[in-house]
Amino acid sequence: MMESTILTCENVTKSYGDVCALQSLSFAVGRDEIVALLGPNGAGKTTALEIVLGLRSADSGRVKLFGSSPRNVAVRRRLGATPQESSFPEMLRVDEIVTFAAAHYTHPADVGETLQRFGLAEMSKRRAGTLSGGESRRLALALAFVGDPELIVLDEPTSGLDVESRRRLWELVRDLGGGRSILFTTHYLEEAQALATRILVVDGGRLLFDGAPQLLRERVGGRRVQYIGSNGPVSIATADADAYVRSMVRDGVAFSDLEIARPSLEEAFLTLTGGPR
Amino acid sequence: MNSLTLLRAHTRVAFLDLLRWPGYVVPTVAFPAMFFALFDLPFARRSAAVADFTTLAFIVFSIVGVALYQFGVAIAQERGRPWERYLRTLAVSTTVRFSSRIVTAVLFGTMTALVVALVARAFTPLDLSFAQWLCVLLYALAGGVPFVLIGISIGYWTSPRAAVPFATAVNLLLAYAGGLWMPPSDLPEFVQRISPYLPTRQFADLLWSVLGNPGGGRAAAGLAIYAVAFAVIAAIGYRRDERTRYA
Repeated sequence: MMESTILTCENVTKSYGDVCALQSLSFAVGRDEIVALLGPNGAGKTTALEIVLGLRSADSGRVKLFGSSPRNVAVRRRLGATPQESSFPEMLRVDEIVTFAAAHYTHPADVGETLQRFGLAEMSKRRAGTLSGGESRRLALALAFVGDPELIVLDEPTSGLDVESRRRLWELVRDLGGGRSILFTTHYLEEAQALATRILVVDGGRLLFDGAPQLLRERVGGRRVQYIGSNGPVSIATADADAYVRSMVRDGVAFSDLEIARPSLEEAFLTLTGGPR
Repeated sequence: MNSLTLLRAHTRVAFLDLLRWPGYVVPTVAFPAMFFALFDLPFARRSAAVADFTTLAFIVFSIVGVALYQFGVAIAQERGRPWERYLRTLAVSTTVRFSSRIVTAVLFGTMTALVVALVARAFTPLDLSFAQWLCVLLYALAGGVPFVLIGISIGYWTSPRAAVPFATAVNLLLAYAGGLWMPPSDLPEFVQRISPYLPTRQFADLLWSVLGNPGGGRAAAGLAIYAVAFAVIAAIGYRRDERTRYA
Protein backbone atom coordinates (compact mmCIF):
# COMPACT_ATOMS: atom_id res chain seq x y z
CA MET A 1 0.00 0.00 0.00
CA MET A 2 2.72 2.49 0.90
CA GLU A 3 4.66 2.21 -2.33
CA SER A 4 7.47 4.73 -2.55
CA THR A 5 6.76 5.74 -6.14
CA ILE A 6 3.47 7.44 -6.67
CA LEU A 7 3.68 8.37 -10.30
CA THR A 8 5.85 7.17 -13.16
CA CYS A 9 5.90 8.38 -16.73
CA GLU A 10 8.02 6.42 -19.17
CA ASN A 11 8.80 7.68 -22.66
CA VAL A 12 5.53 9.56 -22.87
CA THR A 13 4.96 11.07 -26.30
CA LYS A 14 2.00 13.18 -27.35
CA SER A 15 1.25 15.10 -30.53
CA TYR A 16 -1.69 17.24 -31.56
CA GLY A 17 -1.77 16.81 -35.32
CA ASP A 18 1.63 17.97 -36.49
CA VAL A 19 2.52 19.66 -33.23
CA CYS A 20 4.56 17.52 -30.89
CA ALA A 21 3.67 18.44 -27.31
CA LEU A 22 5.74 15.83 -25.48
CA GLN A 23 8.74 13.91 -26.74
CA SER A 24 9.63 10.78 -24.88
CA LEU A 25 9.17 12.37 -21.47
CA SER A 26 10.19 10.21 -18.52
CA PHE A 27 10.00 11.12 -14.85
CA ALA A 28 8.74 9.83 -11.54
CA VAL A 29 7.25 11.37 -8.42
CA GLY A 30 8.01 9.69 -5.11
CA ARG A 31 6.29 9.89 -1.77
CA ASP A 32 6.89 13.13 0.17
CA GLU A 33 8.31 14.84 -2.89
CA ILE A 34 7.35 18.28 -4.08
CA VAL A 35 8.10 18.29 -7.77
CA ALA A 36 8.05 21.39 -9.94
CA LEU A 37 7.47 21.08 -13.64
CA LEU A 38 9.23 24.20 -14.83
CA GLY A 39 9.10 25.59 -18.34
CA PRO A 40 7.93 28.49 -20.47
CA ASN A 41 4.43 28.67 -21.96
CA GLY A 42 3.94 26.01 -24.57
CA ALA A 43 6.65 23.77 -23.12
CA GLY A 44 4.25 20.87 -22.70
CA LYS A 45 3.68 21.22 -18.94
CA THR A 46 -0.08 21.30 -19.14
CA THR A 47 -0.20 18.36 -21.53
CA ALA A 48 1.99 16.38 -19.11
CA LEU A 49 -0.39 17.17 -16.24
CA GLU A 50 -3.45 16.30 -18.32
CA ILE A 51 -1.98 12.90 -19.06
CA VAL A 52 -1.17 12.35 -15.39
CA LEU A 53 -4.76 13.32 -14.48
CA GLY A 54 -6.23 10.98 -17.09
CA LEU A 55 -7.72 13.88 -19.06
CA ARG A 56 -5.65 12.90 -22.07
CA SER A 57 -4.01 9.72 -23.16
CA ALA A 58 -0.43 9.47 -24.37
CA ASP A 59 0.25 8.47 -28.00
CA SER A 60 2.94 6.14 -26.72
CA GLY A 61 4.74 5.42 -23.48
CA ARG A 62 3.52 4.31 -20.08
CA VAL A 63 1.90 6.28 -17.27
CA LYS A 64 1.31 4.64 -13.90
CA LEU A 65 -0.49 6.45 -11.11
CA PHE A 66 -0.39 4.42 -7.88
CA GLY A 67 0.52 1.46 -10.08
CA SER A 68 -2.54 1.82 -12.26
CA SER A 69 -3.84 3.76 -15.25
CA PRO A 70 -4.77 7.38 -14.45
CA ARG A 71 -8.12 6.65 -16.11
CA ASN A 72 -8.95 4.16 -13.39
CA VAL A 73 -11.66 5.77 -11.24
CA ALA A 74 -10.43 4.21 -7.99
CA VAL A 75 -6.91 5.71 -8.12
CA ARG A 76 -8.36 9.18 -8.45
CA ARG A 77 -9.57 8.88 -4.87
CA ARG A 78 -5.90 9.35 -3.97
CA LEU A 79 -5.51 12.37 -6.23
CA GLY A 80 -6.42 16.03 -5.81
CA ALA A 81 -6.52 18.52 -8.66
CA THR A 82 -7.69 22.07 -9.31
CA PRO A 83 -10.20 23.12 -11.93
CA GLN A 84 -8.08 24.72 -14.64
CA GLU A 85 -10.01 27.97 -14.72
CA SER A 86 -12.61 29.17 -12.32
CA SER A 87 -15.91 27.99 -13.73
CA PHE A 88 -17.78 26.69 -10.74
CA PRO A 89 -21.54 26.12 -10.83
CA GLU A 90 -22.45 29.78 -10.37
CA MET A 91 -25.41 29.34 -8.08
CA LEU A 92 -23.64 27.12 -5.55
CA ARG A 93 -22.12 28.50 -2.39
CA VAL A 94 -18.42 28.23 -1.66
CA ASP A 95 -18.93 25.78 1.22
CA GLU A 96 -21.28 23.65 -0.89
CA ILE A 97 -18.64 23.27 -3.59
CA VAL A 98 -15.93 22.33 -1.09
CA THR A 99 -18.28 19.83 0.61
CA PHE A 100 -19.10 18.38 -2.81
CA ALA A 101 -15.43 17.81 -3.63
CA ALA A 102 -14.80 16.31 -0.18
CA ALA A 103 -17.56 13.74 -0.79
CA HIS A 104 -15.31 11.99 -3.31
CA TYR A 105 -12.64 11.07 -0.78
CA THR A 106 -12.36 8.41 1.88
CA HIS A 107 -10.73 10.55 4.58
CA PRO A 108 -11.26 14.16 3.60
CA ALA A 109 -10.04 17.11 5.61
CA ASP A 110 -12.56 19.12 7.61
CA VAL A 111 -14.44 21.46 5.28
CA GLY A 112 -14.52 24.36 7.75
CA GLU A 113 -10.81 24.05 8.40
CA THR A 114 -10.06 23.93 4.68
CA LEU A 115 -12.10 27.08 4.10
CA GLN A 116 -10.12 28.74 6.88
CA ARG A 117 -6.77 27.66 5.47
CA PHE A 118 -7.56 29.10 2.06
CA GLY A 119 -8.97 32.35 3.38
CA LEU A 120 -12.50 31.44 2.29
CA ALA A 121 -14.19 31.30 5.70
CA GLU A 122 -15.77 34.77 5.49
CA MET A 123 -17.15 34.09 2.02
CA SER A 124 -18.26 30.51 2.60
CA LYS A 125 -21.95 31.41 2.08
CA ARG A 126 -21.35 33.43 -1.05
CA ARG A 127 -22.27 32.06 -4.44
CA ALA A 128 -19.40 30.96 -6.60
CA GLY A 129 -20.55 33.24 -9.41
CA THR A 130 -19.87 36.33 -7.26
CA LEU A 131 -16.23 35.54 -6.44
CA SER A 132 -13.37 37.68 -7.70
CA GLY A 133 -10.56 36.16 -9.74
CA GLY A 134 -8.29 35.69 -6.74
CA GLU A 135 -11.08 34.25 -4.59
CA SER A 136 -12.02 31.75 -7.30
CA ARG A 137 -8.41 30.77 -7.57
CA ARG A 138 -8.27 30.06 -3.81
CA LEU A 139 -11.47 28.03 -4.03
CA ALA A 140 -9.95 26.01 -6.86
CA LEU A 141 -6.88 25.30 -4.72
CA ALA A 142 -9.04 24.36 -1.73
CA LEU A 143 -10.68 21.67 -3.89
CA ALA A 144 -7.31 20.06 -4.55
CA PHE A 145 -6.48 19.95 -0.84
CA VAL A 146 -9.84 19.15 0.79
CA GLY A 147 -9.70 15.42 0.05
CA ASP A 148 -6.34 15.19 1.83
CA PRO A 149 -5.13 13.00 -1.05
CA GLU A 150 -1.69 11.44 -1.43
CA LEU A 151 -0.89 13.30 -4.63
CA ILE A 152 -1.89 16.88 -5.32
CA VAL A 153 -1.52 18.15 -8.86
CA LEU A 154 -1.54 21.91 -9.37
CA ASP A 155 -1.38 23.74 -12.67
CA GLU A 156 0.20 27.18 -12.25
CA PRO A 157 -1.03 27.36 -8.64
CA THR A 158 0.07 30.91 -7.90
CA SER A 159 -1.04 32.60 -11.11
CA GLY A 160 -3.72 35.12 -10.23
CA LEU A 161 -2.94 35.12 -6.51
CA ASP A 162 -1.97 38.23 -4.57
CA VAL A 163 1.26 38.27 -2.58
CA GLU A 164 -0.41 37.29 0.70
CA SER A 165 -2.30 34.33 -0.79
CA ARG A 166 0.81 33.21 -2.60
CA ARG A 167 2.81 33.22 0.63
CA ARG A 168 0.06 31.25 2.37
CA LEU A 169 -0.08 28.68 -0.39
CA TRP A 170 3.68 28.25 -0.25
CA GLU A 171 3.37 27.58 3.49
CA LEU A 172 0.61 25.04 2.93
CA VAL A 173 2.67 23.23 0.33
CA ARG A 174 5.77 23.17 2.53
CA ASP A 175 3.85 21.97 5.60
CA LEU A 176 2.00 19.22 3.80
CA GLY A 177 4.21 16.26 4.72
CA GLY A 178 2.77 13.01 6.02
CA GLY A 179 3.65 10.96 2.98
CA ARG A 180 1.96 13.37 0.61
CA SER A 181 3.36 14.53 -2.69
CA ILE A 182 2.79 17.51 -4.92
CA LEU A 183 3.36 17.94 -8.61
CA PHE A 184 2.97 21.50 -9.83
CA THR A 185 3.74 23.49 -12.94
CA THR A 186 5.20 26.95 -12.94
CA HIS A 187 7.10 29.24 -15.23
CA TYR A 188 8.85 31.02 -12.39
CA LEU A 189 12.32 29.77 -11.60
CA GLU A 190 12.10 31.39 -8.14
CA GLU A 191 8.90 29.60 -7.29
CA ALA A 192 10.30 26.25 -8.32
CA GLN A 193 13.44 26.84 -6.29
CA ALA A 194 11.56 28.08 -3.24
CA LEU A 195 9.10 25.21 -3.04
CA ALA A 196 10.25 22.11 -4.82
CA THR A 197 12.37 19.28 -3.51
CA ARG A 198 12.98 18.38 -7.12
CA ILE A 199 12.73 20.33 -10.34
CA LEU A 200 11.95 19.05 -13.80
CA VAL A 201 12.75 21.51 -16.54
CA VAL A 202 10.83 20.99 -19.76
CA ASP A 203 10.92 22.87 -23.00
CA GLY A 204 9.67 21.90 -26.42
CA GLY A 205 8.17 18.76 -24.88
CA ARG A 206 11.56 17.45 -23.76
CA LEU A 207 12.97 17.00 -20.30
CA LEU A 208 16.08 19.19 -20.02
CA PHE A 209 16.83 18.75 -16.35
CA ASP A 210 15.71 16.52 -13.51
CA GLY A 211 17.28 17.07 -10.11
CA ALA A 212 17.42 18.94 -6.83
CA PRO A 213 17.05 22.72 -6.82
CA GLN A 214 20.68 23.17 -5.64
CA LEU A 215 21.84 21.25 -8.66
CA LEU A 216 19.87 23.47 -10.97
CA ARG A 217 21.26 26.52 -9.18
CA GLU A 218 24.77 25.26 -9.72
CA ARG A 219 24.07 24.66 -13.37
CA VAL A 220 22.41 27.99 -14.10
CA GLY A 221 23.38 29.87 -10.98
CA GLY A 222 25.38 32.71 -12.48
CA ARG A 223 24.40 36.35 -12.30
CA ARG A 224 24.06 39.07 -14.84
CA VAL A 225 25.91 42.24 -13.94
CA GLN A 226 24.71 45.40 -15.69
CA TYR A 227 25.90 48.98 -15.41
CA ILE A 228 26.44 52.14 -17.39
CA GLY A 229 30.13 52.30 -18.17
CA SER A 230 32.15 55.05 -19.78
CA ASN A 231 31.28 53.68 -23.22
CA GLY A 232 27.57 53.09 -22.53
CA PRO A 233 25.56 50.20 -21.07
CA VAL A 234 27.42 46.98 -20.23
CA SER A 235 25.84 43.60 -19.51
CA ILE A 236 27.98 40.65 -18.48
CA ALA A 237 27.10 37.12 -17.37
CA THR A 238 29.32 35.83 -14.60
CA ALA A 239 29.48 32.81 -12.32
CA ASP A 240 30.57 34.90 -9.33
CA ALA A 241 29.02 38.38 -9.27
CA ASP A 242 30.68 39.29 -5.96
CA ALA A 243 34.18 38.65 -7.30
CA TYR A 244 33.35 40.48 -10.49
CA VAL A 245 32.15 43.63 -8.72
CA ARG A 246 35.16 43.51 -6.39
CA SER A 247 37.47 43.42 -9.38
CA MET A 248 35.61 46.31 -11.01
CA VAL A 249 36.14 48.44 -7.92
CA ARG A 250 39.77 47.36 -7.55
CA ASP A 251 40.53 48.16 -11.20
CA GLY A 252 38.81 51.53 -10.97
CA VAL A 253 36.25 50.81 -13.70
CA ALA A 254 33.86 53.72 -14.05
CA PHE A 255 30.26 52.62 -13.51
CA SER A 256 26.84 53.87 -12.50
CA ASP A 257 23.39 52.28 -12.14
CA LEU A 258 24.89 48.96 -11.10
CA GLU A 259 22.44 46.07 -11.18
CA ILE A 260 22.96 42.41 -10.38
CA ALA A 261 20.20 40.10 -11.56
CA ARG A 262 19.53 36.41 -11.43
CA PRO A 263 19.46 34.95 -14.90
CA SER A 264 16.00 34.83 -16.34
CA LEU A 265 14.35 31.52 -17.05
CA GLU A 266 15.18 32.03 -20.71
CA GLU A 267 18.85 32.38 -19.87
CA ALA A 268 18.64 29.30 -17.68
CA PHE A 269 17.24 27.41 -20.64
CA LEU A 270 20.03 28.62 -22.83
CA THR A 271 22.48 27.26 -20.28
CA LEU A 272 20.63 23.95 -20.08
CA THR A 273 20.26 23.50 -23.80
CA GLY A 274 23.82 24.65 -24.33
CA GLY A 275 23.15 27.72 -26.42
CA PRO A 276 20.51 29.54 -28.42
CA ARG A 277 18.21 27.24 -30.26
CA MET B 1 -16.77 6.24 -1.72
CA ASN B 2 -19.96 4.38 -2.25
CA SER B 3 -21.97 5.22 -5.32
CA LEU B 4 -25.05 6.25 -3.41
CA THR B 5 -23.19 8.96 -1.47
CA LEU B 6 -21.72 10.24 -4.71
CA LEU B 7 -25.06 10.07 -6.50
CA ARG B 8 -26.54 12.20 -3.74
CA ALA B 9 -23.69 14.71 -3.86
CA HIS B 10 -23.87 15.08 -7.65
CA THR B 11 -27.65 15.28 -7.72
CA ARG B 12 -27.65 17.89 -4.95
CA VAL B 13 -25.21 20.09 -6.86
CA ALA B 14 -27.07 19.74 -10.17
CA PHE B 15 -30.47 20.30 -8.57
CA LEU B 16 -29.49 23.32 -6.45
CA ASP B 17 -27.60 24.96 -9.29
CA LEU B 18 -30.77 24.80 -11.43
CA LEU B 19 -33.26 25.50 -8.66
CA ARG B 20 -31.54 28.81 -7.85
CA TRP B 21 -31.90 30.07 -11.43
CA PRO B 22 -35.32 31.68 -11.61
CA GLY B 23 -34.68 31.96 -15.35
CA TYR B 24 -34.64 28.19 -15.54
CA VAL B 25 -37.18 27.21 -12.91
CA VAL B 26 -40.00 29.57 -13.83
CA PRO B 27 -40.20 28.76 -17.56
CA THR B 28 -39.59 25.04 -17.00
CA VAL B 29 -42.13 24.56 -14.27
CA ALA B 30 -44.71 27.14 -15.28
CA PHE B 31 -44.85 27.02 -19.09
CA PRO B 32 -46.66 23.70 -19.51
CA ALA B 33 -49.27 24.73 -16.94
CA MET B 34 -49.57 28.14 -18.58
CA PHE B 35 -50.03 26.62 -22.06
CA PHE B 36 -52.59 24.29 -20.58
CA ALA B 37 -54.49 27.18 -19.04
CA LEU B 38 -54.36 29.22 -22.26
CA PHE B 39 -55.20 26.57 -24.85
CA ASP B 40 -57.11 23.78 -23.22
CA LEU B 41 -58.75 24.97 -20.06
CA PRO B 42 -61.90 26.25 -21.83
CA PHE B 43 -62.45 22.80 -23.35
CA ALA B 44 -61.28 20.82 -20.37
CA ARG B 45 -63.85 22.45 -18.12
CA ARG B 46 -66.69 20.93 -20.14
CA SER B 47 -66.38 17.30 -19.14
CA ALA B 48 -64.30 14.90 -17.07
CA ALA B 49 -63.36 12.96 -20.21
CA VAL B 50 -61.87 16.00 -21.93
CA ALA B 51 -60.21 17.11 -18.71
CA ASP B 52 -58.51 13.74 -18.22
CA PHE B 53 -57.43 13.59 -21.86
CA THR B 54 -55.92 17.08 -22.04
CA THR B 55 -54.30 16.90 -18.61
CA LEU B 56 -52.44 13.75 -19.57
CA ALA B 57 -51.37 15.37 -22.84
CA PHE B 58 -49.89 18.27 -20.93
CA ILE B 59 -48.16 15.96 -18.49
CA VAL B 60 -46.46 14.47 -21.54
CA PHE B 61 -45.57 17.98 -22.71
CA SER B 62 -44.03 18.76 -19.28
CA ILE B 63 -41.87 15.67 -19.25
CA VAL B 64 -40.70 16.01 -22.85
CA GLY B 65 -39.67 19.63 -22.22
CA VAL B 66 -37.69 18.81 -19.09
CA ALA B 67 -35.97 15.85 -20.77
CA LEU B 68 -34.96 17.83 -23.85
CA TYR B 69 -33.68 20.80 -21.85
CA GLN B 70 -32.17 19.00 -18.92
CA PHE B 71 -30.23 16.68 -21.16
CA GLY B 72 -30.00 18.39 -24.53
CA VAL B 73 -29.25 21.95 -23.55
CA ALA B 74 -27.42 21.22 -20.30
CA ILE B 75 -25.06 18.65 -21.83
CA ALA B 76 -24.35 20.82 -24.88
CA GLN B 77 -23.48 23.77 -22.67
CA GLU B 78 -21.57 21.92 -19.98
CA ARG B 79 -19.45 19.45 -21.88
CA GLY B 80 -16.88 22.06 -22.95
CA ARG B 81 -16.55 23.78 -19.58
CA PRO B 82 -13.45 23.59 -17.41
CA TRP B 83 -15.66 22.47 -14.51
CA GLU B 84 -16.45 19.36 -16.52
CA ARG B 85 -12.74 18.67 -16.86
CA TYR B 86 -12.36 19.01 -13.12
CA LEU B 87 -15.19 16.55 -12.50
CA ARG B 88 -13.33 14.06 -14.66
CA THR B 89 -10.37 14.18 -12.29
CA LEU B 90 -12.61 13.11 -9.39
CA ALA B 91 -13.19 9.50 -8.41
CA VAL B 92 -16.69 9.23 -9.84
CA SER B 93 -17.94 6.98 -12.61
CA THR B 94 -19.79 8.08 -15.73
CA THR B 95 -22.72 5.93 -14.59
CA VAL B 96 -23.09 7.88 -11.36
CA ARG B 97 -22.83 11.17 -13.22
CA PHE B 98 -25.49 10.20 -15.76
CA SER B 99 -27.68 8.83 -13.00
CA SER B 100 -27.53 12.14 -11.16
CA ARG B 101 -28.72 13.87 -14.33
CA ILE B 102 -31.59 11.42 -14.60
CA VAL B 103 -32.62 11.90 -10.97
CA THR B 104 -32.49 15.68 -11.38
CA ALA B 105 -34.61 15.45 -14.52
CA VAL B 106 -37.13 13.20 -12.79
CA LEU B 107 -37.37 15.71 -9.93
CA PHE B 108 -38.00 18.64 -12.26
CA GLY B 109 -40.26 16.57 -14.50
CA THR B 110 -42.37 15.58 -11.52
CA MET B 111 -42.57 19.15 -10.29
CA THR B 112 -43.64 20.40 -13.72
CA ALA B 113 -46.21 17.66 -14.26
CA LEU B 114 -47.51 18.19 -10.74
CA VAL B 115 -48.20 21.87 -11.43
CA VAL B 116 -50.20 20.89 -14.52
CA ALA B 117 -52.12 18.30 -12.52
CA LEU B 118 -52.86 20.79 -9.73
CA VAL B 119 -54.13 23.42 -12.17
CA ALA B 120 -56.30 20.79 -13.84
CA ARG B 121 -57.61 19.61 -10.52
CA ALA B 122 -58.47 23.12 -9.41
CA PHE B 123 -60.23 24.27 -12.59
CA THR B 124 -61.56 21.17 -14.37
CA PRO B 125 -63.72 18.18 -13.51
CA LEU B 126 -60.61 15.98 -13.67
CA ASP B 127 -61.55 12.45 -12.69
CA LEU B 128 -58.77 9.89 -12.35
CA SER B 129 -58.69 7.12 -9.77
CA PHE B 130 -55.70 6.47 -7.55
CA ALA B 131 -54.90 3.32 -9.55
CA GLN B 132 -54.98 5.37 -12.73
CA TRP B 133 -52.60 7.93 -11.27
CA LEU B 134 -50.20 5.14 -10.31
CA CYS B 135 -50.37 3.88 -13.88
CA VAL B 136 -49.76 7.42 -15.18
CA LEU B 137 -46.70 7.72 -12.95
CA LEU B 138 -45.28 4.41 -14.15
CA TYR B 139 -45.97 5.10 -17.83
CA ALA B 140 -44.64 8.64 -17.51
CA LEU B 141 -41.34 7.38 -16.14
CA ALA B 142 -41.00 4.68 -18.79
CA GLY B 143 -42.22 6.87 -21.64
CA GLY B 144 -39.73 9.57 -20.65
CA VAL B 145 -36.77 7.30 -21.41
CA PRO B 146 -36.63 7.84 -25.20
CA PHE B 147 -36.86 11.60 -24.62
CA VAL B 148 -33.96 11.50 -22.22
CA LEU B 149 -32.00 9.74 -24.97
CA ILE B 150 -33.14 12.25 -27.61
CA GLY B 151 -32.00 14.95 -25.20
CA ILE B 152 -28.59 13.35 -24.75
CA SER B 153 -28.27 13.06 -28.53
CA ILE B 154 -29.03 16.77 -28.93
CA GLY B 155 -26.51 17.49 -26.16
CA TYR B 156 -23.68 15.75 -27.92
CA TRP B 157 -24.55 16.63 -31.51
CA THR B 158 -25.29 20.35 -31.21
CA SER B 159 -23.04 23.23 -30.22
CA PRO B 160 -23.69 25.19 -27.01
CA ARG B 161 -25.17 28.05 -29.02
CA ALA B 162 -27.36 25.90 -31.23
CA ALA B 163 -28.69 23.72 -28.42
CA VAL B 164 -31.36 26.10 -27.07
CA PRO B 165 -33.03 27.03 -30.38
CA PHE B 166 -32.71 23.47 -31.62
CA ALA B 167 -34.19 21.88 -28.51
CA THR B 168 -36.97 24.49 -28.47
CA ALA B 169 -37.85 23.85 -32.11
CA VAL B 170 -37.86 20.09 -31.61
CA ASN B 171 -39.93 20.44 -28.45
CA LEU B 172 -42.58 22.72 -29.93
CA LEU B 173 -42.86 20.92 -33.28
CA LEU B 174 -43.13 17.52 -31.66
CA ALA B 175 -45.63 18.79 -29.13
CA TYR B 176 -47.83 20.33 -31.79
CA ALA B 177 -47.69 17.49 -34.31
CA GLY B 178 -47.90 14.89 -31.57
CA GLY B 179 -51.31 16.27 -30.60
CA LEU B 180 -50.31 17.44 -27.14
CA TRP B 181 -51.93 20.86 -27.44
CA MET B 182 -55.11 19.89 -29.26
CA PRO B 183 -56.83 16.60 -29.90
CA PRO B 184 -55.03 14.77 -32.76
CA SER B 185 -58.28 14.71 -34.71
CA ASP B 186 -58.22 18.54 -34.86
CA LEU B 187 -54.78 18.64 -36.47
CA PRO B 188 -54.46 19.43 -40.20
CA GLU B 189 -54.86 16.30 -42.28
CA PHE B 190 -51.23 16.14 -43.38
CA VAL B 191 -50.06 16.37 -39.76
CA GLN B 192 -52.62 13.76 -38.72
CA ARG B 193 -50.99 11.32 -41.08
CA ILE B 194 -47.47 11.60 -39.62
CA SER B 195 -48.59 12.14 -36.03
CA PRO B 196 -48.85 8.45 -35.01
CA TYR B 197 -45.19 7.97 -35.91
CA LEU B 198 -43.93 10.75 -33.67
CA PRO B 199 -42.60 9.87 -30.22
CA THR B 200 -44.65 12.59 -28.53
CA ARG B 201 -47.85 11.17 -29.95
CA GLN B 202 -46.82 7.67 -28.90
CA PHE B 203 -46.03 8.92 -25.41
CA ALA B 204 -49.47 10.55 -25.26
CA ASP B 205 -51.15 7.39 -26.61
CA LEU B 206 -49.41 5.45 -23.86
CA LEU B 207 -50.82 7.72 -21.15
CA TRP B 208 -54.24 7.91 -22.82
CA SER B 209 -54.41 4.13 -22.66
CA VAL B 210 -54.88 4.63 -18.93
CA LEU B 211 -58.26 6.17 -19.86
CA GLY B 212 -59.19 3.05 -21.79
CA ASN B 213 -58.10 4.37 -25.19
CA PRO B 214 -56.72 1.79 -27.61
CA GLY B 215 -53.20 1.93 -29.05
CA GLY B 216 -51.18 1.65 -25.84
CA GLY B 217 -49.26 -1.42 -26.96
CA ARG B 218 -48.44 -0.01 -30.37
CA ALA B 219 -47.29 3.24 -28.72
CA ALA B 220 -45.05 1.39 -26.28
CA ALA B 221 -43.44 -0.52 -29.15
CA GLY B 222 -42.85 2.71 -31.07
CA LEU B 223 -41.27 4.35 -28.02
CA ALA B 224 -39.01 1.33 -27.55
CA ILE B 225 -37.79 1.67 -31.13
CA TYR B 226 -37.10 5.37 -30.59
CA ALA B 227 -35.26 4.53 -27.38
CA VAL B 228 -32.98 2.04 -29.10
CA ALA B 229 -32.32 4.34 -32.07
CA PHE B 230 -31.46 7.33 -29.91
CA ALA B 231 -29.43 5.25 -27.49
CA VAL B 232 -27.18 4.46 -30.44
CA ILE B 233 -27.07 8.07 -31.66
CA ALA B 234 -26.37 9.33 -28.14
CA ALA B 235 -23.61 6.76 -27.60
CA ILE B 236 -21.91 7.68 -30.88
CA GLY B 237 -22.15 11.37 -29.97
CA TYR B 238 -20.72 10.72 -26.52
CA ARG B 239 -17.75 8.76 -27.90
CA ARG B 240 -17.11 11.38 -30.52
CA ASP B 241 -16.97 14.09 -27.85
CA GLU B 242 -14.68 11.92 -25.68
CA ARG B 243 -12.32 11.38 -28.56
CA THR B 244 -12.04 15.01 -29.56
CA ARG B 245 -11.89 16.46 -26.05
CA TYR B 246 -10.03 13.88 -24.02
CA ALA B 247 -7.91 11.97 -26.55
